Amino acid sequence: MTRPDTTQARLHTAEKARKDNDMKRSGWMARGSRIGLTSAGILVAATGAALAHGADGGVAVAVEGAPSWSLSPVYHILVAHFPVGLWMTAYLFILIRSFSDSKFAVRVQNAIWPVAALGTLVGFVTYGLGLTIYPWSAITESPLGRNHIMLATWTLSYWTVMSVLGYRFRRHLFEGAQRWITFTLATIGAIVITITGTLGGSLTGTPSLVTKSLSWIGWNVYMTFYLPTWMLAVYVAGALLLIAIGIIGWKRRV
Amino acid sequence: MTLRTTYLAASVAIFSGLLVLGWVTHGTGIVKDDPERNIVIPDELTSELQVKAAYDGEKIWFRYRWPVDRPSIFNDVLVYQDGKWETRGGEALGPNPDFLTEDRVAMMIDDGSVPLFGRYGGYITIGDGLTTFTGVPETEEERTKYLPSTRTDPNDFEALKPESDLEMLRAAGQFIDLWQWRSSRSNPIGLGDDGFVAEERGGDAGTGPYTTNWDSATEQPLYMFDPDVAGSAALSIDAVTGGDVGFNDIYYLSADTALPFDPTLAWKNGDTIPRRYLRPATGSRGDVVEPSVARWRNGFWDVTLVRDMDTGNPLDDKIFRDGGSYDLAFAVFRNASTMRWHYVTLPVSLGLEQPAQMVAERIESGTEPDWTQPWTEIKTFYPGQVTWGRLTDARQHPGADRIAQRVPVAVRHTEEQLALYGVQMEFAEEIRRQWIWTLIASLGLIVGLGINVNLLMRRNEEEV
Repeated sequence: MTRPDTTQARLHTAEKARKDNDMKRSGWMARGSRIGLTSAGILVAATGAALAHGADGGVAVAVEGAPSWSLSPVYHILVAHFPVGLWMTAYLFILIRSFSDSKFAVRVQNAIWPVAALGTLVGFVTYGLGLTIYPWSAITESPLGRNHIMLATWTLSYWTVMSVLGYRFRRHLFEGAQRWITFTLATIGAIVITITGTLGGSLTGTPSLVTKSLSWIGWNVYMTFYLPTWMLAVYVAGALLLIAIGIIGWKRRV
Repeated sequence: MTLRTTYLAASVAIFSGLLVLGWVTHGTGIVKDDPERNIVIPDELTSELQVKAAYDGEKIWFRYRWPVDRPSIFNDVLVYQDGKWETRGGEALGPNPDFLTEDRVAMMIDDGSVPLFGRYGGYITIGDGLTTFTGVPETEEERTKYLPSTRTDPNDFEALKPESDLEMLRAAGQFIDLWQWRSSRSNPIGLGDDGFVAEERGGDAGTGPYTTNWDSATEQPLYMFDPDVAGSAALSIDAVTGGDVGFNDIYYLSADTALPFDPTLAWKNGDTIPRRYLRPATGSRGDVVEPSVARWRNGFWDVTLVRDMDTGNPLDDKIFRDGGSYDLAFAVFRNASTMRWHYVTLPVSLGLEQPAQMVAERIESGTEPDWTQPWTEIKTFYPGQVTWGRLTDARQHPGADRIAQRVPVAVRHTEEQLALYGVQMEFAEEIRRQWIWTLIASLGLIVGLGINVNLLMRRNEEEV
């Protein structure tokens, strides 16, 4: 026999849950609209700024071998600051969380993967924009161009890995000794971003102190970064070894 | 710490270790001397040149100073060996180990008539397929530098414009004045050498300061040392290559030091005679002279050249005028190297009492410069094999559009950078291929790390 008060209570609870969901949904929608509008505003402003900076003056000249279509570098330069900013913010949050268990640090931890993932998303856009600036044959003739592509590829792939890791493991990234693994991986990621950024600056003719510092520690950025053939084999072996260790550890579940 | 975390830590250590190993070993295995392809990389890619200039309204002086560890005062020589005279030295791939390639300084001058010279200097004169470039077959005639405007196709050495067009260009000032000083073939008798770069690099009208000391009919030298002046009819090859012959010895052949060759003398193996006979230059080619013979001291050549500001040969020489502005570019040949194994400079502006990177000082008419003004320090660099055709082609050079916009090279590149680029250009294909493999292998490593950490990271709830 059904007890009316229980049924009533259930109906009331269901109704309350539905209302809560509706409120939540409308809250999300409102928030989504705000984010969308803000993003659209930023995009329009950025496009305007890019167009303003990309305006050519003087006399137009024909260039031998110039592609029929290319995008002004200003778009890549402008957009590139977003992934750099987002990834470095993610790194800052990881840094805070690695060294602190405070409420603030725990709260900040929740933002790590969305910020990193957003950075990766814009990173792909930036990478694509970068590839439209010069013909592939030309940019890969330039040592600095090659280096920028190399480091950009590393950065993008590395932070894709970091984003997936952040999404899958979230708070667990900072459990026990894993927090130091996370901290180390993120630090490598931050270094790679810094080098990529400074190479981009050097490409536009504004080398920074980082550019010079790299030569002090063994890499003149005007020399193409390439590995000797034996080292390529070591890298391939290293990649296979890492996968093998991963599978063994995962199978043992220890 | 669980075993899985230990695996994770080990994986991150392996990954970091591979990054460090990659950092330490990068850039090795490709760039090395390859004489088969005419590739010899100098030990030093950059150096220094100091220059001063002065003028008195009639004459203009340039003083050059550059470092050389060991001066090379010989060029090609004839060495007696088993009854025959053999040629040694002169042209060589890279530094001549026997120091039988002379030291040299060259200065290109323009008055603004040659398009882009003031922005790109000597780069504009480097066409495709010049002598000693990799893959260029040896030809009877030397394929020298030239101005792009002298060709119907600027990148084709053979596409020379008709003579009438070349004359028109010359009359319009489209040529570069080229002064040279040679430690063996001009310095001993106090001369420079006056030439040009237009449809080719050549000497001005007249005769140069040297001729070849060789009789091809008899296969013997034409001249030998005067024993009364030099102490013997020949030098010893060991003394010559060992650096035992110096400025205080008679080491060159000229009217004052030579006699006609005497084949009846008792020549012995190793006897050495310069393959060049020095003589006064004539005509327009003899315009550039030294106030006094230059000497190498304390690790530096110190050379001064002087010329009339107006030589009266406007089709051969750039005429200097008081208050004028000019563009210069220098080349220094050191460590017994010649041809393209030289150190060049970016263009330098010269003002005759006008604001410029280098200001020529006005001195009183009829006096000599006291050289109290400071040196203009100019960085020199090894240029490698970079052609103008490549630089202006957007498919090969990302900065081709900047050149089209006439952005000076110095705005975008430093001398160190250009030297490194020049070297890498000599191995362009090999480096690009290795770079692509590096890109793929390193991407594989990151993917490997990604799979690894995603498999090994653990959530606390997995423990139970």
